[in-house]
Amino acid sequence: MTATIDAVEQPLNAPRFTRRTKIGLAVLFVALMIPPFVTNPLDLTKLSRLVVLVLAVLGVNLLTGYTGLISLGHGVFVGVGAFAMANFVDTGLPLVLAGIAATLFTGVIGLILGLPALRVKGLYLALVTFGIALAFPPFARRLGRLTGGVTGRTVDNESFVPPGFLGLNDQVHIWRYGVCLIVVAIWFVIIRNLVNSRMGRALRTLRDNEPAAATFGIHVPYVKAGALAVSAAMTGTAGVLQALLNPYISHSDFDAFLSLRLYAAAVIGGLGTLVGAIYGVLALIVVPAVNDTLELLDSDAVVFGAGLIIMTFIAPTGIAGLFTRERAGKSRGH
Amino acid sequence: MELFLQRCFDGMFTGAIYASLALAIVMIFRSTGLLNFAQGEMGLIGGYVSLTLLSPPGTSGIGFSIAGTGFASKWVPGHPWPVWLAIVGAVAFGALLGAVIERFIMRPLADRSTLSQVNVTIGLLILINGIVFQVWGPFARRLPSPFPNGKDDYFGIFGARLRYTTVGVWAVLIVVIILLGLLIRYTKTGLAFRAITSNREGASLVGVPIGRTLTVGWAMASAIGALAASLIGGAVSLDPLTMLNLLIYALAAATIGGLDSPRGAIAGGLIIGLTQSLAPPYLGIPTELTLLPPLAAMVLALTVRPHGLFGTVPVNRV
Repeated sequence: MTATIDAVEQPLNAPRFTRRTKIGLAVLFVALMIPPFVTNPLDLTKLSRLVVLVLAVLGVNLLTGYTGLISLGHGVFVGVGAFAMANFVDTGLPLVLAGIAATLFTGVIGLILGLPALRVKGLYLALVTFGIALAFPPFARRLGRLTGGVTGRTVDNESFVPPGFLGLNDQVHIWRYGVCLIVVAIWFVIIRNLVNSRMGRALRTLRDNEPAAATFGIHVPYVKAGALAVSAAMTGTAGVLQALLNPYISHSDFDAFLSLRLYAAAVIGGLGTLVGAIYGVLALIVVPAVNDTLELLDSDAVVFGAGLIIMTFIAPTGIAGLFTRERAGKSRGH
Repeated sequence: MELFLQRCFDGMFTGAIYASLALAIVMIFRSTGLLNFAQGEMGLIGGYVSLTLLSPPGTSGIGFSIAGTGFASKWVPGHPWPVWLAIVGAVAFGALLGAVIERFIMRPLADRSTLSQVNVTIGLLILINGIVFQVWGPFARRLPSPFPNGKDDYFGIFGARLRYTTVGVWAVLIVVIILLGLLIRYTKTGLAFRAITSNREGASLVGVPIGRTLTVGWAMASAIGALAASLIGGAVSLDPLTMLNLLIYALAAATIGGLDSPRGAIAGGLIIGLTQSLAPPYLGIPTELTLLPPLAAMVLALTVRPHGLFGTVPVNRV
């Protein structure tokens, strides 16, 4: 019952940068430069809050796509990161240190929650993480001053402003958008190196055949726990940035539907590829925007649910798979 | 003592609901090896269908009319239906929904990886929840109970109140289990179902119609889910989020009992129901955190006894 996945098989030594990747990165770079010029401060902040979710989606992807462990509870780590950030800022730490501390804290929480969960196999992990996702909001509500209880709390983000020499003093939102992009980029580089390292190969072997992985001398529990910790930590960073962008956070921001949405985005974007996370977040940005503009549905859940089902039928490797199909030849299994 | 007994009775009511949902989950797991994350929502939509069937058009629970009642009064003869008939209607709807989902969504994916299939059930969870939200709105509704549910409708046992609804729900559950048992033991479909459970490829080789049998299995599971949702009216109100919590209780119940054991589902449901009503007062857990004891019980069960109380322990050949 180990969950194997229909992913495009990557060669174990991933090529450094193909021409396609370079063009893709250039397009992405240009696309990311546009919003500051065409949106108002409010929309840009809203966009930044969605953009940082790419870290959460990549976190799900690292766990589900690369390691084969289903997590339906990543919204919890966004919440833990956000609340941890608020509290570390309260202690007077500089923002960067507070952010790093909150990230590490979320990683540790991920490890603590994961230790019992990792003893269980395949689908059961999905079940346990889903339970945690449901239990988190009422739990956070009980934590009093730490989380602001029922009403939520504010985060002191007044020092999250551009340094004077940049001359951006009246363009705080652009500076914040830029900082978010840089943090996201740093995580992407880390994860790219990770999945192409010994660790990444261990993860994929584990995903495809756990007994075989053990035979190769991979210490299965350690590797799983490591993947979970890194995944939780990067998702925590998404929470850190969200807390800084929107200085008012409450337990209801991190309900089970956030987790489900992140999971749907990871699958729709494409599991087992880095670029999949970017496509997934694109879906998280575009679908609600279109829905709001056209005033179609009360909730865009229908689109994400249907999207998840339709993508499983027509493109089991997600949007990322649609673009790489002709290159990778036949995708496995069908 | 009196209070203890009372809490036990309260736990038994919700326990029966969890047990029915867990039973539905077990049925699908036994035949397909799949955890159906959409089970709760499939029941939820059944509950709303029963609500629509029994509400006269234009009624307002809390100032908003219930969606579909206008349509129902036009096309459904004799609408609004009495509670019992509405539940039968919801069960029929549930069966149809389950059959359609198996035939048109799950069957084409039968030879895909487990992950793909689970992804689809998660997609169904989000989709059906979205549909319910869209059609019936976010309001909490109260479903009337099919059993006498007045202030004085209870048996007094040592000073504690065993409500008629609790007895009724258990009676329904027992009837369902007996019917299910008879069906599986004495009918041809039941035989096919057992064959698939024990050896799917072998069953298909000797000509058991796998697809048709699974369609029936999904229809029955979904019907049980709709029945459970229609019966919760005695205690819990119905809103689009009701079933998310119920699902996790039911999954916990199924896991504790053993995912491939119907007996285990019933025992698990009862255990979760009792844990939920007894743990908060006696362990000092605040009521908002009632989700934690079942969750802890589930993790404990998975760690100590991964195949549950009644589940089959698989034998691995190394």
